[in-house]
Amino acid sequence: MRDSKPPLAVICTALCQARSVLSSIPYSYCQSRCARTLKIRSHVARGTTFRYTHLHRAPASLSTLHQPMEAKIFRRWAGRILRLCTRRSSGAPAPGSGATIFALSSGQGRCGIAVIRTSGPSSGHALRILSAARDLPPARHASLRLLSDPRSGEPLDRALVLWFPGPRSFTGEDCVEFHVHGGPAVVSGVLQALGSVPGLRPAEAGEFTRRAFANGKLNLTEVEGLADLIHAETEAQRRQALRQLDGELGHLCCGWAETLTKALAHVEAYIDFGEDDNLEEGVLEQADIEVRALEVALGAHLRDARRGQRLRSGAHVVVTGPPNAGKSSLVNLLSRKPVSIVSPEPGTTRDVLETPVDLAGFPVLLSDTAGLREGVGPVEQEGVRRARESCNFLATVVASVGAQSPSDSSQRLLLVLNKSDLLSPKGPGPRRDLPPHLLLSCLTGEGLDGLLEALRKELAAVCGDPSTGSPLLTRARHQHHLQGCLDALGHYKQSKDLALAAEALRVARGHLTQLTGGGGTEEILDIIFRDFCVGK
Amino acid sequence: MFYFRGCGRWVAASFIKQQFPLARLSSDSAAPRTPHFDVIVIGGGHAGTEAATAAARCGSRTLLLTHRVDTIGQMSCNPSFGGIGKGHLMREVDALDGLCSRICDQSGVHYKVLNRRKGPAVWGLRAQIDRKLYKQNMQKEILNTPLLTVQEGAVEDLILTEPEPEHTGKCRVSGVVLVDGSTVYAESVILTTGTFLRGMIVIGLEMHPAGRLGDHPSIGLAQTLEKLGFVVGRLKTGTPPRIAKDSINFSILNKQTPDNPSVPFSFTNETVWIKPEDQLPCYLTHTNPRVDEIVLKNLHLNSHVKETTRGPRYCPSIESKVLRFPNRLHQVWLEPEGMDSDLIYPQGLSVTLPAELQEKMITCIRGLEKAKVIQPGYGVQYDYLDPRQITPSLETHLVQRLFFAGQINGTTGYEEAAAQGVIAGINASLRVSRKPPFVVSRTEGYIGVLIDDLTTLGTSEPYRMFTSRVEFRLSLRPDNADIRLTLRGYKDAGCVSQQRYERACWMKSSLEEGISVLKFIEFSSSKWKNLIPEVSISTSRSLPVRALDVLKYEEVDMDSLAKAVPEPLKKYTKCRELAERLKIEATYESVLFHQLQEIKGVQQDEALQLPKDIDYLTIRDVSLSHEAREKLHFSRPQTIGAASRIPGVTPAAIINLLRFVKTTQQRQAAMNESPKTDQCLRDADRLQERQL
Repeated sequence: MRDSKPPLAVICTALCQARSVLSSIPYSYCQSRCARTLKIRSHVARGTTFRYTHLHRAPASLSTLHQPMEAKIFRRWAGRILRLCTRRSSGAPAPGSGATIFALSSGQGRCGIAVIRTSGPSSGHALRILSAARDLPPARHASLRLLSDPRSGEPLDRALVLWFPGPRSFTGEDCVEFHVHGGPAVVSGVLQALGSVPGLRPAEAGEFTRRAFANGKLNLTEVEGLADLIHAETEAQRRQALRQLDGELGHLCCGWAETLTKALAHVEAYIDFGEDDNLEEGVLEQADIEVRALEVALGAHLRDARRGQRLRSGAHVVVTGPPNAGKSSLVNLLSRKPVSIVSPEPGTTRDVLETPVDLAGFPVLLSDTAGLREGVGPVEQEGVRRARESCNFLATVVASVGAQSPSDSSQRLLLVLNKSDLLSPKGPGPRRDLPPHLLLSCLTGEGLDGLLEALRKELAAVCGDPSTGSPLLTRARHQHHLQGCLDALGHYKQSKDLALAAEALRVARGHLTQLTGGGGTEEILDIIFRDFCVGK
Repeated sequence: MFYFRGCGRWVAASFIKQQFPLARLSSDSAAPRTPHFDVIVIGGGHAGTEAATAAARCGSRTLLLTHRVDTIGQMSCNPSFGGIGKGHLMREVDALDGLCSRICDQSGVHYKVLNRRKGPAVWGLRAQIDRKLYKQNMQKEILNTPLLTVQEGAVEDLILTEPEPEHTGKCRVSGVVLVDGSTVYAESVILTTGTFLRGMIVIGLEMHPAGRLGDHPSIGLAQTLEKLGFVVGRLKTGTPPRIAKDSINFSILNKQTPDNPSVPFSFTNETVWIKPEDQLPCYLTHTNPRVDEIVLKNLHLNSHVKETTRGPRYCPSIESKVLRFPNRLHQVWLEPEGMDSDLIYPQGLSVTLPAELQEKMITCIRGLEKAKVIQPGYGVQYDYLDPRQITPSLETHLVQRLFFAGQINGTTGYEEAAAQGVIAGINASLRVSRKPPFVVSRTEGYIGVLIDDLTTLGTSEPYRMFTSRVEFRLSLRPDNADIRLTLRGYKDAGCVSQQRYERACWMKSSLEEGISVLKFIEFSSSKWKNLIPEVSISTSRSLPVRALDVLKYEEVDMDSLAKAVPEPLKKYTKCRELAERLKIEATYESVLFHQLQEIKGVQQDEALQLPKDIDYLTIRDVSLSHEAREKLHFSRPQTIGAASRIPGVTPAAIINLLRFVKTTQQRQAAMNESPKTDQCLRDADRLQERQL
């Protein structure tokens, strides 16, 4: 199995994620041979060095990054890297014992039953609300309950529920297990319903285990694997968050977080310096206007029925390569339906076409992309750009190319040579110096079995990996934090007491930085001292 | 043994190593020949005075060593105390029975609470102080503190002995050597040397060694600390020129009058010593483009600004204001230095230009056209010790029983110094009596935030307290500092007087009772509207509303509530302070509940102590990245909570540490148990023998 090194954008996000993830990830990649390392010294001068690992084929010099998207991403995050010496965000919901957490506990992928777990004092309350029952079921007995959404009353699923009052439970706290049917819609519905119960929030990486440990429910050998698990979970969460955060939503979140941080910094400056030092007029009014605009934007986003994005479940497989290699034919072959238009003309596919398919038993989102070539019309160039972008984010690339690999070996990569029917049976085979590859003919179907087998192995590696987080949970997490942010902004508006208003902004920012990373007091102080002339 | 005196540091140190038990004995005998104290405090500034009196309050025989007794309590920079964030620190110092708040209540000339309109959690108690009065009152207090001796003398060196095996650190301090070669022994030593460690005063291009204008720096001590292996950094600060009062044209300037009534700093005072109408005003003026021009033209004559020594991100001097925010008018507050002082302190005009240029610059400013500069402004550069080398009890990791407090730890400000002083004094004393250290957590007070920030993250600029640094700002308010700290100070540290303790207990129980009564009274909103017509309560909801929720409205206070519901609320309006505090509690009630949950989470992590003697660089049992090891090695966090706040320590590393802590705990528990079982067996054997 090839070593999986997430490409450029993935690492960028690693850097913007919580400090924790950051220090553990770039290190390992820095040691890999193909990595080019840039050292960026933190100007905060805590003596911390972060390594920015640039795995793509662009030269190390930033100015020569020729792909506009990459350069943009890099610039965006470079600023963050410099500001990374921050502590846990001040207003973030702390993973304290008080909160009740929930998570999808069963594995990712196709399953008949999915298990969702909660732990914490509000577990019983959540169970009563979801099952619309006055009483809790008998402890440690499976009972059948109809779960419905507490907001709409809409039924979600008929599920087995188990009630484990603490301390005799996995974590030592009150726990509930919901055994629901494994479809993504059901799981997603139950997770969102749980998220809407006051006092409940999605679990942080490894939080269940940590609580169990804190309550003396795990012995030391069991804990041994915990650090690895948490490492893996944070990594998976990071990858998942990235998937959800790529594209428009990601830009939105980061933009919101930036606005909010600035507004908070200005309110804090007004509190800490307003009277002795001369802040400019209208600092608070400006913050008010920004917060109000943010509230409107967030509200509109949360109400938006389109949700902006489709729920992306399963592994992602992108077919990419030069024009007219037969990528669309391969996609149609794999999905057994005419997803893409095929024609002998190069450049037929101009956009990224995604279709959910079942490949060798694994749920897969298969993407057909425009052929990679330069110097064609603007529409196709945009298609090529999107194609490159999707390669950057996706786990497996089925490269259906004539001659050479479109990317370096840092991604999970299958090199597929199509049109093998054109090789004369007695003539020379493909060139010897090619990397490992598969031969295929979409026309005759020859080599398809081999490809499916290779895909199965790759997908098993991706999906069988326990560290692969659940996109459903990530989405629930997003919604939870965005809603939390919006609620807090509402409190800001209502508060007459400025300390209370600032607290509301802190909470709101805490929620957003849970999604984008960063946060912390130093960031606020940096803005205050940058924007205002304050001091002795 | 006196023969060896003055023969150099090395002799003194090695000699004492062998003779230490004797020295101990001699001090206990009827006529002690070598002075011996429980605690020595070096430095008589704001940290030193608090440290010395705190140690004495805790029952330690304490010696305060200072260059000059007449500079004890000197306010060497601004003539004011308190402010936003700093006022919080003063209330906390007072809650631990510290001095500065009480003395400010006796020495102020202009009392004003900042942030009045922004909510009681961020009110900033502040006062202009009469320098002379403050010094007099402080010296009176210091010289009358039981168990506290004051002695003049410059400390040249520390006396070091073998470390105590049960603690970490490579040696233990057991006394000090003075410049004249004499020695004084003590169980604990607190260094509060301020800017005196290799202090250097800068005016224009001139530089000369001095801790403060007119005082010698401590060079020997700085060298000793460096030799011991302390990581030393350099910081700079500055002070503005002083202007003759009668040369200023106040009539054209904006006047700021003090509050009426004045709010005292101390919990024990109902009022301050002076009536509002007798207090002095402050005046406001602004810089102008001509000031900018003089500063920019003469940068080449200004070595303090050019130096690479790190200054703060905020603007400490007029030079940095002009450089970073050009083309703006900057405020200059003209503050009185005292009742009968003829000096004015131009706050905001800290400058290090050559003296003649300072006067030229000042005379450009409105109202100061004819101003006479009596003492030029100057910059100070000084050594500080990276505060990650001290524990949250302010004891150093390297040298046992050596404590640091104040500017030596990289902070700026009187209040920050005083706060550390109290903690160092308490802990130096607790260390002598072998009691556990007194640590204030981030969740308990601004003092905790200050010390936790310093000891886990260090600082690269003079650290100043801001309320924005405090996560639990709504819980850690100036009004409730006594409930947060006085009770603990009495029980855990013993630094609080009986009287203050009883007062805090009474206040706490009254508040709790008051809140529960207010929660219990429930009427419909329309009834509330009838009872208190001015309340803007919405009458559309039919749910009953608690009195506590009505008290949340801005226009309602305990008086109006008690008028509406005299029974049982009337009795809570008798004590002014109680009534005001109930109103504040009501304002924040809903948020405090959530904060309490978060605080519990943080405290849980802080309850998990890390062993003090872990060698993070070599330990095998914990799997940690190299980076995490280095960070942990340098900061030496005391708890899992503190470790998790260090940048670069990942959640996985935290779990590994947790596991290590639990393993060690189990191992220790097992070890503690085994002797007992042996004892049991032996007892059982004896029993059998007897039976035989």
